[in-house]
Amino acid sequence: MQNLLQNKPLIGEDVSWLRELRQKGHESFSLPDAKTEYWRYTKLHDIRNTDYVMDVPFYKVKPVNVGLEGYILYFLNGSFSPQHSNLPQGVEVMPLIEAVFTVPEAQKYLGKIADAKIHPFAALNQAYLNEGIYIKIEKNIELKKPLILVHHTHNEGESLFYNLHNLIVLEENAKASLLEYYTYSGQIKSRYFGNHVNEIILAKGAGLNHYKFQDEAFYAVHIALSCAEVDEGAAYSHFCFQKGANLGRDETHIRLLAQGAAANIAAAYKMEGWATLDTTTEIEHLAPQTYSNQLIKGVVGGEAKGVFQGKIHIAPGAVKTEGHQLHKALLLSDNAETDCKPELEIYADDVQCSHGAATGELDKEQLFYMLSRGIGEDEARQILVEAFLDDVLEKLPSAEIREWMKSRVK
Amino acid sequence: MNKITKIADESGEKYKYGFVTDIESEQVPAGLNEDIIRLISAKKQEPDWLLDFRLKAYAHWKTMKEPAWAKLSYDKINYQDLAYYAAPKQKAAPKSLDEVDPELLKTYEKLGIPLKEQEALAGVVAVDAVFDSVSVATTYRAKLAEQGVIFCSISEAVREHPELVKQYLGSVVPYTDNFFACLNCAVFTDGSFVYIPKGVRCPMELSTYFRINAKNTGQFERTLIIADDDSYVSYLEGCTAPQRDENQLHAAIVEIVVNKNAEVKYSTVQNWYPGDKDGKGGVYNFVTKRGACRGENAKLSWTQVETGSAVTWKYPSCILQGDNSVGEFYSVALTNNYQQADTGTKMIHIGKNTSSRIVSKGISAGHSNQTYRGLVKVVPGAQNARNYSQCDSLLIGSSCGSHTVPYIENRCKNAVIEHEATTSKISDEQLFYCLQRGISNEDAVSLIVNGFCKEVMQHLPMEFAIEAAKLINISLEGSIG
Repeated sequence: MQNLLQNKPLIGEDVSWLRELRQKGHESFSLPDAKTEYWRYTKLHDIRNTDYVMDVPFYKVKPVNVGLEGYILYFLNGSFSPQHSNLPQGVEVMPLIEAVFTVPEAQKYLGKIADAKIHPFAALNQAYLNEGIYIKIEKNIELKKPLILVHHTHNEGESLFYNLHNLIVLEENAKASLLEYYTYSGQIKSRYFGNHVNEIILAKGAGLNHYKFQDEAFYAVHIALSCAEVDEGAAYSHFCFQKGANLGRDETHIRLLAQGAAANIAAAYKMEGWATLDTTTEIEHLAPQTYSNQLIKGVVGGEAKGVFQGKIHIAPGAVKTEGHQLHKALLLSDNAETDCKPELEIYADDVQCSHGAATGELDKEQLFYMLSRGIGEDEARQILVEAFLDDVLEKLPSAEIREWMKSRVK
Repeated sequence: MNKITKIADESGEKYKYGFVTDIESEQVPAGLNEDIIRLISAKKQEPDWLLDFRLKAYAHWKTMKEPAWAKLSYDKINYQDLAYYAAPKQKAAPKSLDEVDPELLKTYEKLGIPLKEQEALAGVVAVDAVFDSVSVATTYRAKLAEQGVIFCSISEAVREHPELVKQYLGSVVPYTDNFFACLNCAVFTDGSFVYIPKGVRCPMELSTYFRINAKNTGQFERTLIIADDDSYVSYLEGCTAPQRDENQLHAAIVEIVVNKNAEVKYSTVQNWYPGDKDGKGGVYNFVTKRGACRGENAKLSWTQVETGSAVTWKYPSCILQGDNSVGEFYSVALTNNYQQADTGTKMIHIGKNTSSRIVSKGISAGHSNQTYRGLVKVVPGAQNARNYSQCDSLLIGSSCGSHTVPYIENRCKNAVIEHEATTSKISDEQLFYCLQRGISNEDAVSLIVNGFCKEVMQHLPMEFAIEAAKLINISLEGSIG
């Protein structure tokens, strides 16, 4: 492994707070190992065994056709290409580095929501803080169409490593939907490592539906962290479907700061081969009457490994809160594996919290029922798997995005 | 109902086992080094192989670090400040109960432990009484010997049945296992040894009663239970310690071997001194308990009621090696004031068609913190493994904490694993219902708490169940209202 901390020229070295932030990230980073509690099940061989480069030639590639209506923001190999500017009133989008120079919120929030001390890959990301975008939805603005972030990776043999950092601010009572779509073109065997961090701020009464569809290349490494701070009466929902990458991790860390704040997570993963897909969540209830709900379902075939780690933390005094969590996994083959660690950490008495976890194989009776009705075995299995994952997809509030994802899951 | 009220009435006292027995005791000097280990070994007239085992463990222990992953915080233990051996002075080893120091007999009478061979409420119970570092008496040995059951202190077993001890000691918990287990291997003093021969159903309950009396000592007990093919035994363990301002260390190992078609039921009521209401004093209870179901259809059942200790670190585990073997873990843990408990179980499924069941009930009150930490692991090839876990927590008061950290690792397609956990407080409606019927607040809470624990309590032998229900009421005192 070549050192992930390479010497890469970055913009804004003359901004002292930014330089300090990068420096702090640099100092805090060390690659997690088997003894790092939050990485005990997700092994990082792929990162250790690959020599990554941070620059690849510019490839002229055909943009991906998303097939969904929305405001498309396009990223190629980890660089934002500002080409669509048909944004409605009250929505501001600019490259992150531009925000560093022009928007006071950049200094206020960057590196503050995603803590480099707790999250090793956020530290790595912070050391390279440069690429990414800043999105602001102004007060009382309600977006009708989703913002679609297309993350398109294309490489031809090089092992590309890039960092992206987005700052998303919703002002009071702003409402929006955001879809992150991770896709690739080029060689099927291309190895690359995308390290993503989202810092999200929801002011009073704001609402964000954050969708994500991860369909990276077969050998890719995808590590993503979304950190959200949710104020009074605001609601953050995170809907994630992972099916690509050899090592994929979707981590959400939500802090419910004031009364009535709510978090909702619905996530699914489906994989074959030798992949490891990891869903890690942490929800901190820091105020009374805050609510959270989580549903995570996964289907594991081949020699793959599904990992779920979820934590509900209830701070002292955060009474009348509710936190619920459920994880279910289906194993399809003899060499598949699931590792699961649901965790409750509760420091207040008047709360309602629960978690559940179950793993098992396809129900033989259900399979038999279908076979007895003349449905072929492969098809019957497929129907059962789809039905199993449907519970998660049904949680998606947008019918268009739900259908769009369903058509890509098959 | 009547029973509960009565129990609540009786609970007017706090920790009633906090007295100190005034007895001349023989202690080795404080500190831990090879010479101390040789001294302990010499005092116990041990054979060379056991001394070698201790020294090997000690050498390894020096390379280990005290674990810090548990959700526990306590002052650092200085292992050189402790005395590793303390025993009441005796002229010669007592041959029968009549020769045991009357002061000791009085102590056990006061603790409610029958050292005379008398009929107890639920039948006959054989007792091994361990006082500080030595076993002072074992009852009903002759009667048990008739059936071939060996029940004696482990020091005696080393002398009289060396081949059995040598074969099984350290076979379930190797000396390299963890920091506290390794320390125990180096300095363990006494404990019980049980061997149930093939096809024997042990005619009475066996029980060990542990008592720490001396000041500034650690107790390092070691229990080894072997149930040979087709046998059955029910074993009970109880513990108390005097009320002292200093913390005492208790680092024990319990090893259980269950062979083909055998069944072992291990029940614990742990009531070490929990410290006072400000968290001063109390026992540090760092225990490694593990059983291996080696043969087909073997069954091991752990039941524990944990109300004592300032700090508890304990994970009774089952290694399900034999096909169709069964592991069970039933636990009630109650913490009050500034007590801390990090406890749970490990179920390792290796054989085919193995099943395990975990029922854990945690009650936190006062400023206490409690964690359920468990592992369910199904290795490749453990076909049709089945696990069901349920962890419920009840919080009483707004300054306590309750945490649940289960680890579930499945490597087998047709294994079915289910885990459920809930946390809540006593429901206002239940409380209101009781109050409305004229039951006082305190009685209502203990009624509800006992109902909450019932699923576990019913797995305890009757006398223990009554004792445990009393304990829970006493431990809850001062946390209500």
